[in-house]
Amino acid sequence: MSEYLEGDPKFVKRIMDAGGGTLKKCFQCATCSVVCPLSPDENPFPRKEMIWAQWGLKDKLLSDGDAWLCHQCNDCSSYCPRGAKPGEVLGALRNIQISQYSYPSFLAKAFTTPRYIWAIIALPILLIAAYFSIFGYHIPEGEVMFSHFINHQHVEYAGFIVGGFVGAVTLIGLWRFWNALSEMDVQTANDGGEAEGVDLNTQMRGGFIPALIASIIEILLHNRFGKCGESKNRYFAHMGIFYGFAIVGFSTLIAFVYLLMGRELSLPITDPVKIIGNFGFILLFGGASLAIYDRVTKRDRIGIGGYFDWLFLGVLWIVTFTGILLEGMRFANMVEAYYVYLVHLVVVFVLLVYAPYSKFAHLAYRTIAMTYAKYTGKDTERLGWI
Amino acid sequence: MAEEAEKIENVEEGQEEVKEEKEEVEKREPKVGLYICTGCDIDKLDIEKLKAVAEEAQVPVIKTHEALCGKEGVNLIRDDIEKEGVNSISIAACSPREKWDIFNFGDCKGCVVDRINLREGVVWSHEIDEHSQELAEDYIRMGVGKVQKMEVPVALDEEIEKSILIVGGGISGISAALEAAKAGTEVHLVEKSDSLGGMAAKYSKVTPLKSPFKEIEDFNIQEKISEVMNDPKIKVYTSSKVESVAGQPGQFDVVLNNNGNTVDFRVGAIVLATGWKPYDASKLESLGYGKSKNVLTNIEMEEIMSNGGLNADSVAFIQCAGQRDDEHLPYCSSVCCNVSLKQAKYIREQNPDSKVYIFYRHMRTPGLYEDFYRTIQDDEGIFLTKGTVSSVSEKDGGVVVEAEDTLLGERINVKVDKVVLATGIVSSMEGVPTTKEDQAKLEEEGVEFYNILNLGYRQGPELPILKYDFPDSNFICFPYETRRTGIYAAGCVRQPMGIRDSIEDATGAALKAIQCIDLISKGGSTFPRSGDLDYPNVFLQRCTQCKRCTEECPFGAINEDEKGTPIYNFMRCRRCGTCFGACPERIVSFKGYSVDMVATQLKAVSVPGPEEEKPRIIAFVCENDAYPAMDMAAMHKLKYNSFIRIIPVRCLGSVNTVFIADTLSKGIDGVLMLGCKYGDDYQCHFIKGSELASYRMGKVQETLDRLMLESERVQVKEVAITEYDKIPQIMDEFVEGIKELEPNPYKGF
Repeated sequence: MSEYLEGDPKFVKRIMDAGGGTLKKCFQCATCSVVCPLSPDENPFPRKEMIWAQWGLKDKLLSDGDAWLCHQCNDCSSYCPRGAKPGEVLGALRNIQISQYSYPSFLAKAFTTPRYIWAIIALPILLIAAYFSIFGYHIPEGEVMFSHFINHQHVEYAGFIVGGFVGAVTLIGLWRFWNALSEMDVQTANDGGEAEGVDLNTQMRGGFIPALIASIIEILLHNRFGKCGESKNRYFAHMGIFYGFAIVGFSTLIAFVYLLMGRELSLPITDPVKIIGNFGFILLFGGASLAIYDRVTKRDRIGIGGYFDWLFLGVLWIVTFTGILLEGMRFANMVEAYYVYLVHLVVVFVLLVYAPYSKFAHLAYRTIAMTYAKYTGKDTERLGWI
Repeated sequence: MAEEAEKIENVEEGQEEVKEEKEEVEKREPKVGLYICTGCDIDKLDIEKLKAVAEEAQVPVIKTHEALCGKEGVNLIRDDIEKEGVNSISIAACSPREKWDIFNFGDCKGCVVDRINLREGVVWSHEIDEHSQELAEDYIRMGVGKVQKMEVPVALDEEIEKSILIVGGGISGISAALEAAKAGTEVHLVEKSDSLGGMAAKYSKVTPLKSPFKEIEDFNIQEKISEVMNDPKIKVYTSSKVESVAGQPGQFDVVLNNNGNTVDFRVGAIVLATGWKPYDASKLESLGYGKSKNVLTNIEMEEIMSNGGLNADSVAFIQCAGQRDDEHLPYCSSVCCNVSLKQAKYIREQNPDSKVYIFYRHMRTPGLYEDFYRTIQDDEGIFLTKGTVSSVSEKDGGVVVEAEDTLLGERINVKVDKVVLATGIVSSMEGVPTTKEDQAKLEEEGVEFYNILNLGYRQGPELPILKYDFPDSNFICFPYETRRTGIYAAGCVRQPMGIRDSIEDATGAALKAIQCIDLISKGGSTFPRSGDLDYPNVFLQRCTQCKRCTEECPFGAINEDEKGTPIYNFMRCRRCGTCFGACPERIVSFKGYSVDMVATQLKAVSVPGPEEEKPRIIAFVCENDAYPAMDMAAMHKLKYNSFIRIIPVRCLGSVNTVFIADTLSKGIDGVLMLGCKYGDDYQCHFIKGSELASYRMGKVQETLDRLMLESERVQVKEVAITEYDKIPQIMDEFVEGIKELEPNPYKGF
């Protein structure tokens, strides 16, 4: 950081474009920090982020782990007397951090720029077209069996390749994120500024792993979400999406075992794996629908979010919607199910492959930010028993 | 010449008529009619006994009615006026603050009306028992005694000049002139510089003047100036100074120095709109002013913007520069935050890549200017933070502003091209001697000074200052009032304000000036006893030239001749009765308020012997706040002790110490005075009446000592109109205190 503090209108604009369009309305009354059920007593968010954002203090904002401790329950936005919607601003900051640290950055940029949406969608379509040009394209006759259309094994292997890529680039992003967080804290301490509750002697805190475990337990229990006042719906919506995803993932894994066992994967509806999978899908669909409903109905008071939010939420919803639709069509033995299946594959690709660059990545970043907070002693919650 | 002679003759004739009328009025024999209303719970009292009390007092006409304020009741009184010759009407019903328009018999020549407050004063505010019955009976006796002594006020009848003088040709003066002219009044507008426009003419653009209060605006003062110049009702004197003002409202004789020539004319009222001057920035060296050429004041910034602008990449504004600071201006100038927001916009508009920083202590954008603040805030190139600027210095090729306690949570340094100091507004009255003593002192010290109005007032040549050089009056509801009747202050001379407020202020002050002339031309008083025809009658033959009245008059209404004999200027008078209260010779009286009248009321109070254990207390209650507060307490059915008898007074300043002596020597056990808050944030409607009452009570101590009475028997209490709920507590505590003392030993004398 240079000796002189300098406002950065361009970065202000970037936050505004990323969903924090109201940030300049803040007049620093601190109502947000007071009503926030999650904010700590020392250096509370979102107040400090609000003024940093108004000045466009890029260095501080990009390495602000506190943005992730916010679960956007929007009590702050609801009570804000100026309509500055701090919840939205912190959301925008998280979006910017994801695109800042994710690797490679051109993909991140594509995800924050609306005009590249076509490129994003075009890639899976081209890949599928390439697949068909190699393995041949034909709509199977008779009973609808997706395995007759595209080999399930290919889909599963493609999934593993994608998973490996996603995992690798996410780890790179997280590594960059973690370093940025610690560098800023060291710098703040060196500058003689307030260390913001950070105990740099992290050995006392029991290390990284316990902090990570504590964070994961906290995430599984959703107990931060549980404290939200303004939008209780988000708690249920997120719960639905989170566990829906987990269950769907779990059933996909068993399905892979079935595949190895040589079973046909167009399972009957009574199959336990199908039942578990469908249950997960219903949770996902319900959660995503509720999240959309909540945002739309409360748009005036707490904000509707930005492109980045909607891209993720929209893709998620289409994935679940097409998934349910194609299953229904399969049981109805409608030949159109194959086309829906293609659409489904495209959106699933968009959802999963781009996960490190989309809002999906919040899963990883928030976990790391929470872990960092516990690791450095900024957040003392639940460290007692872990 | 012939015309003039005729005029004079007419005036003389008029005066003769008045004289005749006066004599007729003075010859009147009072015939009292007492009308007791039995509505609104008053019939809970024993009405027959009340009538008997009046009969005992030999009241010739006594009538009751169940709704005296109804048509029937009013006609009952009118009939008696016409047929029975009743001319001193005493209405025992509700508070005199109620239905005064209904019980107004002003059209009946030679009639006086007085009210006995049985409703709020007795039945609504006391338990109905023997004590409250005795209270009501005392009130009847006091009321009929008083009305008998009351005389019909005779309105002043003077020749009134209706034009007004406006001093100062800035935006306030211009606006006042235009508004007054629009209302049909002739205006003399005096400006010391060679052109109109004042400070507002220097501004490049202005903060929003109209809804929605979001954008900075162009402000064409030249248009207004030419409107003034072309208005046939407005006479403009530029390069002019007021040499002196003599006389009183309606008859102010003004002498001007117009470019070296003397001009004199008469006006009816004056609007003082001399505006403001910027705070001396040379005292702000600690903020870099004078040390760095890149540190400017907001006024200099405005001048730069008017002359082509300032192309800077970064500018920092420091708010409250030399303001809200005991070492500089202790107050907030209220406009500087808006001005800095405006200037920030100038810079951003001129150079869209520029960065503007604003360091404020509190962002103060009063009223709808909050919307202006919101709009400017939305600009992503304007960075605001609360903070205390600790240093400003030239460093690394720029000006570095160091700020502490910022909202950014730390000490920060910001490097900019220019720094603008938001300096404040100083009243143009600063440095002007307001009293003769101050003036003499300055002359002695050889300090150069100037006068603004140079009034021919015994109490000083200028409007008295309230605080920080602003000649305000502290009247919450009457912002343009000063402590000189007929002289109204408008704009920044009386309080820091922006253009929009100045225009509004000037409009209000012009209206008040016109209203004042209108009232005095009818012989009435101005605020707060608007329209009161009664004025002090002074029996100068017995004056001892003690000068108390001339010194104490809150409005400087009384001048002195060489011997110290008071010269009353009745049209400056607001009828508070402070002179009446001050006079040790008791030579001041009103037609409706005199020492005799109060003495008669005191005499009318029956004082039971000490063995009855019924103390009696007199409360002199100020009619402006305390009396309405008591009415409000009654309307809320708050009850208080029945041993207290209320005598309303014009102001506690009009309580003559002789009342106290009269009261106590009669065997009454205590005297309570209820008036307005005094001191720094006084609420006295007559500036210092309650303060004077309190001061005079120090002197009453001697009387008490002479009578060998305890000092606790006489107390002054403050109450505001909003504190009606405290009335029972004040009353009851006072009575409890009195009960602890022995009964007044003068009972029965």
